[in-house]
Amino acid sequence: MTEAAAFWILSAVAVASALVAVRKRNLVHGVFALLVFFAALAGHFLLLLAEFLAAAQVLVYIGAVGILLLFAVMLTERVTGEGRRIMIRGSIFGTLAAAAVFFVLIWPTLSMLKSPEKNTHALTTRELGERLMDPYAITLEILALLLTAALVGAVAIAQGRLDAPEKEEPK
Amino acid sequence: MTLHYYLILSAVLFAIGLMGVLTRRNTIAVLFSVEIMLNAANLNFIVFWRFSENPEMLHGPLFVLFAIAVAAAEVAVGLALAIAIYRHFKTVDLEKLTTLKEQ
Repeated sequence: MTEAAAFWILSAVAVASALVAVRKRNLVHGVFALLVFFAALAGHFLLLLAEFLAAAQVLVYIGAVGILLLFAVMLTERVTGEGRRIMIRGSIFGTLAAAAVFFVLIWPTLSMLKSPEKNTHALTTRELGERLMDPYAITLEILALLLTAALVGAVAIAQGRLDAPEKEEPK
Repeated sequence: MTLHYYLILSAVLFAIGLMGVLTRRNTIAVLFSVEIMLNAANLNFIVFWRFSENPEMLHGPLFVLFAIAVAAAEVAVGLALAIAIYRHFKTVDLEKLTTLKEQ
């Protein structure tokens, strides 16, 4: 009973905050709504007995990605967007396409008659680490390489060309 | 809670993220809509793992771990690109960013 209640509360929070994040005019408010969304999903992970992933979700998404997004918002344009359109022209077609994708996604779910049994396998961090070492060691190494390359690339892209002359101020 | 509820929830979240990607003008808003879609997919991985017949293989959680790491890399590069584009064009408005070279 409490599980069902927790599911509905977390789902309501997740959907509402995702909608706010997507539709909010002020981008800073949008990022904070996104943080609430990440927290709600971490709650769902806890509900599904994946404690380590919930912790990783909080650390990586709320901790790192949220801060990064906030910085990016503040380093770029005016954040409030007062009095301007925040949607692209013809956004109705985008909304319709998203709705179409939604119906395609839930089609097999609605035609699924019986849900399989939920297992209660405990996800220990030790087991996760052993799996990462045994069949997935190469994947882990490639992922480490990817992360390094991405971070170096991000620094290289963001700092621009060092030898480039200062650009003229646009009028 | 059966599998259906979770699948419908993640479909709803994915559709919301997709709507953001397809309709927002601001590059950074599009980036965080992509994050919503990625998280919806992660939820699906965990749910399918929790309802699977051999959970001791840990396919779901491992895939989610890898997806989280790749998403972190993607955000870092994406935001660096957004900032580089802003420096160059003085805007992050997707309706104005219609060229790949200097105007």
